[in-house]
Amino acid sequence: MFKGSEETKRLRPSYIRQQERFGYFMITPGMLFLFIMAAFPLVMLVAMSAFRIDLTYPAGNKWLGIKNYLLMVQDSRFLHAFKVTAIYTVSTVFLQVVTGLALAMAFFRSFRGQGFLRVSVLLPMILAPVVVGLAFRTMIMTPEYGILDYISIVLGFGSKPWLVDPIWALFSVIIIHTWQWTPFAFLVFLASLNALPQDPLEAALMDGRNAWQRFWHVILPMIRPAVVIVIIFRTMIALRAFAAIFSATGGGPGTATEILNLYTYRESFNSLNLGYGAALGTALLVITVVISMIFFRMRQSRM
Amino acid sequence: MADRKMPLWLRGLRSGLVLSLYGLMILIWAFPVIWVILTSLKTRTDIFTLPPTILFKPTVEHYIEALLAQDILRGIINSLLVACGTTLFTLLIAVPAGYAFSRIRFPFRDRLSFLALLAQMAPPIGLIIPCFLILSRLRMLDTYGGLIAVHMTLTVPFSIWLMITYFQDLPPSLEEAATVDGASPFTTFRKVVLPNVWGGVGVTAIFAFIESWNEFLYAVVLTGSKTKTAPVAIFGFLAAEESRWGPFTATGVMIMAPVIMVALVAQRQIVKGMTMGATKG
Repeated sequence: MFKGSEETKRLRPSYIRQQERFGYFMITPGMLFLFIMAAFPLVMLVAMSAFRIDLTYPAGNKWLGIKNYLLMVQDSRFLHAFKVTAIYTVSTVFLQVVTGLALAMAFFRSFRGQGFLRVSVLLPMILAPVVVGLAFRTMIMTPEYGILDYISIVLGFGSKPWLVDPIWALFSVIIIHTWQWTPFAFLVFLASLNALPQDPLEAALMDGRNAWQRFWHVILPMIRPAVVIVIIFRTMIALRAFAAIFSATGGGPGTATEILNLYTYRESFNSLNLGYGAALGTALLVITVVISMIFFRMRQSRM
Repeated sequence: MADRKMPLWLRGLRSGLVLSLYGLMILIWAFPVIWVILTSLKTRTDIFTLPPTILFKPTVEHYIEALLAQDILRGIINSLLVACGTTLFTLLIAVPAGYAFSRIRFPFRDRLSFLALLAQMAPPIGLIIPCFLILSRLRMLDTYGGLIAVHMTLTVPFSIWLMITYFQDLPPSLEEAATVDGASPFTTFRKVVLPNVWGGVGVTAIFAFIESWNEFLYAVVLTGSKTKTAPVAIFGFLAAEESRWGPFTATGVMIMAPVIMVALVAQRQIVKGMTMGATKG
């Protein structure tokens, strides 16, 4: 398709034009795909949120304008799901960053048997979240027979209502997510610590600073970009969480662990109320966009 | 360097602490996986024995039971088809796009590549509602094509992004010689550039495969009896009867096995791919 002959090569403007055409040629399939399968559906999502689309009663489908949204702000289940999402996202990201950073600091430099540890921490991240959720629900958190509950009993803490008490259940799904994804923070922090220049650390050591001061005033400022990136990545992923909670608690008991994704799913595919589901989906889209804009600013201002 | 100035006993204490932390970490992160594997090999009586047994006579009965349950074997085959299809088509469109975005100059390049990355932020639940409606109108629910297309919305953006970082690592002069020789840009790409990034393409393929293989939300919405994938099938397994831990863990092991094997072989490259974007950032 692009049989540039010798003559066109020597003429720079036509060479540039050929390059441009080739560039567009190479990105067209990908961009076309993303336009059809991502951009168009998102526009359609927003449009759908202005309708009543009930698959169980198609005759009643009609234009609603912003009524779905008026309904939403008064919907206590939505407000609850919003709160649960906020708690879930903030605490999982916080726990991952703090734990990951602490572990990376512990292993930084004094590191033998890296390969074995790397495989161990890699395992949780490549597992299907649905298998993780189900495994925690059954073999790990089942009263008495679950290994975690068994350990708790043996250690004298007694059996815990891991997934049946509302507060415990929220705590448990946060722990499950943190368990699965702290390795990511750990590996990123370990990589950036290993890449640090040694001079500032030597200098700080000469100055007689203690370990905590060295960490807070020397190391942390240097790896701050990595911390920000991990926070951004993990927040975006936490906002997409679905399968692990769906399979561990199903959003229960009651609606104790029902994050927005789960509520939207239920409304759309259990109640088949696609219009209202689309409004919830749009709310989620707006939340995601706002948060990423804040993050974008944060990175630009070199936080 | 800090170690050199420490007294000997403190150094000993430190390495002792690091060593126990090392053991604890492996225990916390690898143990649940090992526990699933062990449980899948226990008889039903052994599974529900307290205290839990570490030494037992292994059995493969649960694997046989799981494979005979029609859904599971079919689910694994379906997952394999969908994940391979997703990986193949993702690479076909993401590798060229990654190349153009990193090494060719054309108007609006940066803006367009930014748009491609934006697609990654779309909330999946928001995407699946309209996609469900579209695919049902096209009579494409419960088809491999429909699920592959939707899975690709997850894999294409990060694959483009990953490939950009691999292409950027190549020396800038790579294409020049070929261009002087009169090769077309596409021939240059295929014969000169591509052979230098096979490793990166491989890592991208691994990530795309794992993403599609593990995916649950889209699969549970879009598939029915014909194309149900393994994660959907295993969920239905336990929903029917909560205490069938044996067949459940056996199925779990079969779902984990391919990704664990890939991870064992390519762990170094996977970790590099995962942390690369974050450390370069």
